[in-house]
Order: sequence, then C-alpha cells, then structure tokens
Amino acid sequence: MSFLEVKNIDVFYDDVQVIFDLSLTVREGEVVSIIGGNGAGKSTLLRTLSGLMQAASGEILFEGRGIQAAPPEEIVERGIVHVPEGRRLFTLMTVRDNLEVGAYNRRAAPHLHRTLEEVYTLLPRLAERQAQIAMTLSGGEQQMVAIGRGLMAKPKLLLLDEPSLGLAPILIKSIFETVRKIADQGTTVLLVEQDVHHSLSLSDRGYVLEHGRIVMEGPAGELLADPHIKSAYLGI
Amino acid sequence: MKPEKINRIALVLLSAAALGLPLVVRSATYLHILVLLYFYAYLTTCWNLVGGFAGVLPLGHAAFVGIGAYTSTILSLQYGVSPWLGMIVGGLLAAGVGILIGLPTFKLRGAYFALATIAFSEGLRVMVENIDRLGPFTINGPRGLQIPPLDTGLTNFMFAGKEPYYYSILVMLAGVLFLTYRISRSKLGYALNAGGEEPEAAMALGIDVARTKLIAMALSSFLTALAGTFYAQFTLYIHPKSIISLDLSFEIAFIALIGGRGSIAGPVLGALLLRPVSDFSRIYFGDTLPGMHLIIFGVVLILVMNFQPRGLQEPLTRLYQKVVNRLFHWGALEAAR
Repeated sequence: MSFLEVKNIDVFYDDVQVIFDLSLTVREGEVVSIIGGNGAGKSTLLRTLSGLMQAASGEILFEGRGIQAAPPEEIVERGIVHVPEGRRLFTLMTVRDNLEVGAYNRRAAPHLHRTLEEVYTLLPRLAERQAQIAMTLSGGEQQMVAIGRGLMAKPKLLLLDEPSLGLAPILIKSIFETVRKIADQGTTVLLVEQDVHHSLSLSDRGYVLEHGRIVMEGPAGELLADPHIKSAYLGI
Repeated sequence: MKPEKINRIALVLLSAAALGLPLVVRSATYLHILVLLYFYAYLTTCWNLVGGFAGVLPLGHAAFVGIGAYTSTILSLQYGVSPWLGMIVGGLLAAGVGILIGLPTFKLRGAYFALATIAFSEGLRVMVENIDRLGPFTINGPRGLQIPPLDTGLTNFMFAGKEPYYYSILVMLAGVLFLTYRISRSKLGYALNAGGEEPEAAMALGIDVARTKLIAMALSSFLTALAGTFYAQFTLYIHPKSIISLDLSFEIAFIALIGGRGSIAGPVLGALLLRPVSDFSRIYFGDTLPGMHLIIFGVVLILVMNFQPRGLQEPLTRLYQKVVNRLFHWGALEAAR
C-alpha cells in the first residue's frame, strides 16, 4: 500500500481540461518534487489533492483510502495539509494567531502548544516575531509563517506550492533548508517548484509535468542529469 | 496600576455612566435619541458578526429587523402572545431566513453578495407592502401595524416612560457586545476571520468556511430580529418603510464602516458619532433637506476610508492605549518612589 497514490485523474476548470490522465505515487518519508513551467498544472494538482478542487475522473488514495470526493476539512484531518502558493497569510492577525489558526483541525487542536513550540524551534525567527502583525513581515518571513502555519495542522503529508516564489536567492536557500529539515523530522513532502535545481537537489524523486501530463519521472539525481531537463529548465 | 486594571476601571466607569445617564438626561427627546443610538449600536454589532468578522458586506439587514418586528407584533396583536416570546420566535424565524439567504449568496464575491442581500431585503419590503393578509395573519400592507398602548408593564414589554426602554436596549447592547467579545476570541472567531480574508488558505487548513459563515449569519440575523421586536415595542407602530427600508440597512453599514468593522468598539463608536448627526439633521433639515444625514455620512465615509481605512476605532484605540500607558508609567514611578 502506498502512502499517496494518484491514479489516472482528469481535472477541469469548467470546460478547460488542465490535468490529463495523471498518475503518481509518494512513499512515506519521501520528498517528491513536481517540476514544470507556468501553466503546467502543478498548482491545480495540489489543489485537487487537498480537496479544493475535484477530479472529474480517476482515484486518489491516501493511506489506502479514497479521498477524491472528500471535502478539504476531511482531507486535512486525514493528514494532508496544503500550503498554498503566494503565502496567503491572514495579514491582520499576529504571527502567533496565524500559527494558531493552523491547528484548527480536530487532530491538531489538542496538541497546539506542543506543536507551537516545535514550530518555533524549527523557525526561531517566528518566535521573535510572534506578536507582530503578519502584514509587516518581510517576504521570506511571511513564507516561514505560511510553512509554520501548515506544520501547525500536524501534516503527515505536506503539500508545498512554490515556497520560493518571489524571494531573494539567499532566502530561497534557507527556505529549502527548512523543507529538508521538515522532511528529516519525518513529514513526507510533496513539493511543487519552478526552481528546479534547488527542489530536485533536496528531493528523493521527481516528476516533470508539462501541459497537464507527466512527461518524465525518476530519482531526483537522474532527472538533474537529464539533457532535456538541463536544456528546458536549467538553461545549461 | 497595571494596564488591565486600568481597562477594567474604565469599563466600570463607562457602565456606571451609561446606567446613570437617565438620572441626568430628563428630556424625553434626548432619551429617545439615546435609545436609538444604542439601538443602532446594537444592530451594527450584530451586523459586524457577518460584515466584520466574516469579511462580506451584507446590505440587507433591515429585512431581519422587519421579520423580528412583524413576527412579535402579529403574535401579540392577534394571539395575545407576550412580545418576549414573540421576540424569540421572530429571532428563530430570522435565523432560518438568514441561513436560506446565506446558502446561495456566500459563494458570491464582494459586490455581488452585497447586491444579493439588497435585492432580498427590498423584495421582502415590496412583498409586505402588497400583502394585506397572509393566511391567518393580518399584515396590513403599507399601512403597517399599530400596537395599542393599553397594558403597560414588563410582561407586555410596554412602558409609559422612556427609561425602561433605555435600560432594556442597554442590557441588550451590553449582552451582544459581550457575546461578540467572546466569539472574537473563540475558535469560531478565528475561523471567520481567516475565512473572510483568505478563504482558500483557510479551507486548506481544514476550516469549513461556508459553514462558519452560515453560523455567523444565523447568529447575526437572530440577534438583529430581537432588536426588531424592541423597535416595535418602543415606537408601537411599524410599517414596511420604517423598518424594512434600505435606509436602515445602509445606516448600519455606514456606522460599521466608519466606526471600524471587525472590531468590537467600532460599531459603538460609529453609532456614538453618527447617530447624533442623523437625529439633528432630521430635526433641523427634516423638512427642507430630508436625507441630509445620508449625504453627510457619505462624505464622512469617503474621508474615513481615505485616511483611516480600518475605521475610527483604530486611531482612538491607539490614543486610549497611549493614555493608559502614560497612567501606567506614572503609577510605576509613584510606586518606585
């Protein structure tokens, strides 16, 4: 039984099909990257996994149970937590309140204080800023809050949508280091990225998504060495 | 003295002032103005549960005031049911209607939600204006319903003087403010705030945004309807134009936006500021420039939105905190000496 198994899903925005017959698997403890250009369907795939959108056909199994028709709140309780693209913080709340909202689901709520300590240990910057209004943070700090907020929901599988978006190179490095730490502590991570080099470097495996179809898959090291990926995504 | 202690003392002083006010204000006119001020502060606080916390802009809350007023009045006129009981029935009815409106409209974004609520409340007004009898209930169309001032007393929610009304609405206002305070610090409050600002992020964290909005809507319409009964018992005469009017819905929104939506003090500050404008413009311009207060509100709203987009509660809260800090430091210095 795989941890997450996506079988032949098709996803539409109204009449426009965005994802075509897509299948993938994630094993427990892995970091898996999904790479691809703008409009390849990466975010749509994550939105479908977290229940914000529904697949028109196909199956999504998480720990052996079908979740393709479950509402987002149920999926969160099962342990899949989605950190959406563009941070989407609750800008008028303090950093701490943002994090506490993360522990909204029934599974995470009883452990709020302990999880908060863990998040502050992982991201000490947030502890310093906990009383600050989220809007006043820098972009990098906001991304930290978004990730921390996701961790507060106690994910078994964390879906990260472009955590490096719009950040300076030095911050991108520290975000990816954080992702690596999260994975090392035992959370499975499915990472969607345009920064192919960084994301594949920290991943175990990767999938390449083009025009809504998986065109390539394999161990991250092999993908990094692949001539097609080198020319299309790394510009070498 | 600790800041929390200063806050508590300020709250006690404020309550004492509100309780003692009728001893000083003897004029029935001014008491009437005060009662309406609290009435609007109450309505706006109810509105704030949806319009402030849930981040949408409902512009049809007069519909719930109307439902409350008509339900309790019909029940008491035709069936001799005490208005207190009618108040609860009206509240439950309004909560049901609130959910029915919320179900299809909460999916609408921004202006579309506002328009849908306007359409509903205007539809209700036109319907009431054109219905004389609905089944066993006499509605009286545009002529409205009059409550004969016969048996005054607490059980009938009818009093000879203005003071009992003053205290009734004061208690209601205090109650709803306390409730709002508790909600704003509860799980529901956080979920509403989160869902209002970033629905998708909230959903991705397992918050059922639509459901929390519906709960807020049901609560808000229930509480709003209670004020409808109060208004009917206070004026003893209701008709569609007085109680299901867009003016009323808009004034609530004006008070909330200018005072500061989403905050607890905002609706009260807004009412404190705008209600006197509304009443005195009616007294002085009532026959020459009716509706003058709405023009003034519009101008004030434009100014406030430009300079204090989060409402007047923000600079006032800051000012208050500065004063408290000054007192606190002064107290600390005294203690050190």
